[in-house]
Amino acid sequence: MIKIQRVTMQLEAAGQRVTILDDVTLDIPQKQMVAIVGPSGSGKSTLLGLIAGLDRPTSGSIWLDGVDITLLREQALARLRLEKVGYIFQSFHLIPTLTALENVAVPLELAEFPDTRTRARELLEAVGLGTRVSHYPVQLSGGEQQRVAVARAFACRPPVLLADEPTGNLDSSTGQQVIELIMALHRDFGTTLVLVTHDPSLAALTERVIALRDGKVESDRLVRPQQTL
Amino acid sequence: MTLPSTTPFWLLMAWRESRAAWRHFIFFVACIALGVGAVVGVSLFSANVERAVLKEARGLLGGDLEIRLSREMNEKGQAVLSDLARRGVQVTRVSELAAMASREVTSEGAQGTQLVELKAVEPLYPLYGRLKLEPDRPLWALLNPSEDRCPRPRCYGAVVQEALLFRLGLSIGSSIKIGDTLFMITGTVRTEPDRMANMFSLGPRVLVSQEGLAAAALVKPGSRVRERYLLKLSGMGDAQSLLYELRGRLLSESAKVSSYRDAQPQLKQFLEQLARYLGLVGLTALFVGGIGVAMSIQAFLREKFHSIAILKALGSDSRTVIQVYLTQAIGLGLLGGVIGLSIGVGLQDVLPRALAGLLETDLLQQVEFTSGFSTAAIGPLIKGLGLGIMTTLLFSVWPLLTIRNVKPAGIFRRDFEGAERVGHTVTGRFGQRLLISFRTDPLPAVAAVSIGAGLAALSVWQAGSLKIGLFFIGGLITAVIALMLSAQAFLKGLRLLGSPGPLVLRQALGNLHRPGSQTIGVMMSIGIGVMVIMTIGVIEHSLVRNIGANRPADSPTFFFIDIQPDQADRFSHLIHEQTGDVAPRLTPLVRSRVRAINGQSVRVEAETEQEEQAAQTREDKRKNWYLGREYVLTYLEELPKDNTIVKGAWWKPDHLFVGPQLSIEEDAAKHMGVNVGGTIEFEIQGISVTAEVTSIRKVEWGNFSTNFYMILSPGSLDGAPITYVATVRVPPRDEATLQAKVVVAFPNVTSINIGDVMETFTNVLERLALAIRAVALFCISAGALVMAAALTATRYRRLYEAVVLKAIGATRGFIAQAFAAEYALMGVVAGTVGIVMANALAWAVLRYILDLPWSLEPRLLGIGFFCTILLTLVVGFLSTYRILGQPPLAVLRHE
Repeated sequence: MIKIQRVTMQLEAAGQRVTILDDVTLDIPQKQMVAIVGPSGSGKSTLLGLIAGLDRPTSGSIWLDGVDITLLREQALARLRLEKVGYIFQSFHLIPTLTALENVAVPLELAEFPDTRTRARELLEAVGLGTRVSHYPVQLSGGEQQRVAVARAFACRPPVLLADEPTGNLDSSTGQQVIELIMALHRDFGTTLVLVTHDPSLAALTERVIALRDGKVESDRLVRPQQTL
Repeated sequence: MTLPSTTPFWLLMAWRESRAAWRHFIFFVACIALGVGAVVGVSLFSANVERAVLKEARGLLGGDLEIRLSREMNEKGQAVLSDLARRGVQVTRVSELAAMASREVTSEGAQGTQLVELKAVEPLYPLYGRLKLEPDRPLWALLNPSEDRCPRPRCYGAVVQEALLFRLGLSIGSSIKIGDTLFMITGTVRTEPDRMANMFSLGPRVLVSQEGLAAAALVKPGSRVRERYLLKLSGMGDAQSLLYELRGRLLSESAKVSSYRDAQPQLKQFLEQLARYLGLVGLTALFVGGIGVAMSIQAFLREKFHSIAILKALGSDSRTVIQVYLTQAIGLGLLGGVIGLSIGVGLQDVLPRALAGLLETDLLQQVEFTSGFSTAAIGPLIKGLGLGIMTTLLFSVWPLLTIRNVKPAGIFRRDFEGAERVGHTVTGRFGQRLLISFRTDPLPAVAAVSIGAGLAALSVWQAGSLKIGLFFIGGLITAVIALMLSAQAFLKGLRLLGSPGPLVLRQALGNLHRPGSQTIGVMMSIGIGVMVIMTIGVIEHSLVRNIGANRPADSPTFFFIDIQPDQADRFSHLIHEQTGDVAPRLTPLVRSRVRAINGQSVRVEAETEQEEQAAQTREDKRKNWYLGREYVLTYLEELPKDNTIVKGAWWKPDHLFVGPQLSIEEDAAKHMGVNVGGTIEFEIQGISVTAEVTSIRKVEWGNFSTNFYMILSPGSLDGAPITYVATVRVPPRDEATLQAKVVVAFPNVTSINIGDVMETFTNVLERLALAIRAVALFCISAGALVMAAALTATRYRRLYEAVVLKAIGATRGFIAQAFAAEYALMGVVAGTVGIVMANALAWAVLRYILDLPWSLEPRLLGIGFFCTILLTLVVGFLSTYRILGQPPLAVLRHE
């Protein structure tokens, strides 16, 4: 489902060149649940962002569902993100001026789904926020905001779900609820799930753990066989 | 309010974003509202005047048709008039001339004299329109008072403009002497329908009967009088066909026949021009507002950076996001436009007041001007709204293009902040960089060209002329670039300067040149406003100063006109007696029209419908003006002072002339198509005189002497009904005495005081400048709004800094001082650059349009500079004073 071939990402700041990812090659099959772990600054979030087509690597190629996304122009990339990728951020990244319902409705509206409001409401009910649809992000707790973000990421039923430290800003019990929600979506809909985390116990729940250090793949091991869904 | 879920995404998002962010857009909406208000106010006013003039066209002309001559109709013409009367056409005669009125006459001379505009009428007057008189009685009754009120054997009434009563200290019932007759003032006239709407008037109006005028014995052969025969058809056929018939039948009379359709063409042209230039000042206000729009959007997008990145991360492309915010901008532009329409409707009531008194006659009352709503208002309203929305669109596009630069990875800005991706920096020379940038991304260049073209199109639309529109936008863009470069140079200078002086100044300078401060935009906006207002001021002052400076020390105090040949010697004697001076210089003159050039008959007025409809170029109109006007001819031995021969030769003294020779002014020769060796045939009071052109002259028109287009050789006008004009110079204290003596001795002679004429001119100029300044105020207000918008956009940053400074020990006074220094510096730069630009623009207008030298106006510029600083200080503190009182803890707790 996801093929990463010799990807390097370098940035220039204050005249200095910094290598964020260094010749990374990975292959993630369809429906696999993968955790990417590593210390701060190891390039985890950057790798996840590149998989989602949020930025372009300095060199190398990234294949998503058979398409080299590094060759796509902005419009095609946007379409790909809309149809193929759901992204859950550590800081939720909800649009502050929209209600919970409207936040979830955005990808549905962009994809021109029919009856977006009903579907968004169903999604919010599914994540346990049926009573909070008209609330704005500032009126929701961190856990609730992240659940809205999960509902939004999954709104168009993308085959790939990318989660960047989804529990990083949550207390442990709220984090637990959110993780269960993400796992359930992966399980119920056969979504390929790539999870960036610091938390070894969370990584232990996945099928494969890829460890990054200084932008390089330090280890890549299967923790458990891929579940047949 | 919720929009249906079938609404397109861009519209849904635009609505949601506006719902949450209306506070951000108060200034956006205000900028557009103010600009649209200025444009609409001017257009509505001009549409209303045009409508009123059209409605009252017959009243303005005085009839369906008017026959105008510079003498009384001769027998042949009278026969035509009798024929018209037989056909059922009503005809009434109106004579207009300048005359002297005096309060009472004693052995010392006339006490209190005043130049007046005399109008003699017949019982049928007015054929159309209504005279507003006090008392409200028929005019004819007031002009012929009953004998019991008027003890003299034959009594004439006069209805006068109130100004005459004030100036001569008279009241209703008093008598005034005009010419040889005493008139009893029986009433005052407030408006008369057919008074020429003119910016200059020689004096107050006095209405008398034709019998009264005859008794006054003012009209002598060759007197300066305008005879008008007004015609009312009352359903007796078509006015236009009668117009052509009369033009044919009265050709030999040198009469000018016009129909109500072209009543007061100069007035229409004047109002059109005024509306056009006021409209362009209004458009400048709208464009300054556009800068405010661009800055508001820029500030808004800066805040929206994160949301845009999220939208992109969720799968939205740049085009969709731009569509969202463009829709929002246009919606806000529409809202601003609608508010602007109501401001414009309010302004159309204010403008007439600012303009009142600009025209000597109260034109607005004359045409029963109303500013109420009518179908004529629909056009200006739609145009105003269109201009508002288009301006919003054009000024939004550029900042909205920056949305393309927001990468979805911007969501991780903390990681990426300040970082550039490797391999994407374009290096090389400026030109190369520009070319590479264009090749890799042509959109910004395409957008810039489209915006420029769009602004030019709006300017042409508003100006109603391609040339003026392009000239305007060219000038404005040049001014904007100059302002921008100056502001940039100033900021660069600040950076180079480092951190000099006390902390307060360092803080102020820091605020000015830090990223996102929008200082350049503010300086540009305020600078444009300053430039517009100061340009008007400098031109007005230069005009007044130039006219004063041009008046030579030995320039005359009086022009005495209509001196009859048999009065010439006595007049010279009187002047010599009164002033002790040598005999005044008397110049003979006679009124004439051009009948033929080089043997070819001149025909200026259309005699058929087809001719009427044929398009006239500007050049044709100019040529017709030269051919159709009345010429005052003179004969002179010597070439007048300040005249130079540019072609041919002046006649030699004691030359024996075979026939009349003519020296013609160069512009007249050019437009009339006549050269040395050619001939011009003049019609002088029914007699024809043909002269050969022997020289072409250049004339210095502004030298306060009697100047002529046409000068004939001595002897050419023998036997013609000539009158004399005399120029006399006396000290100010003797002016009134001399005038009084002349009035008693020569009641038919009219004296024109140059000082009074100059004063009228200065007053008119001041009025005109006031009207333009009233609209220009919108420009400076728009600039102030832009500044307020910019300060509000950076309000949070300022608040945060202020509380941090307070937390570390700064006082409220310190912060206020830093703000004051910052705003004052903005004023200094905007004021300096605006004033420099204003002088450059004023110089160009004076030099190339008015042909006058530019002069430095230090006092005016000083006031302008001071007011600009005051403005930036006031606007700055009004926008930010709340920050000063914020308790630090409350703010820092939320950080």
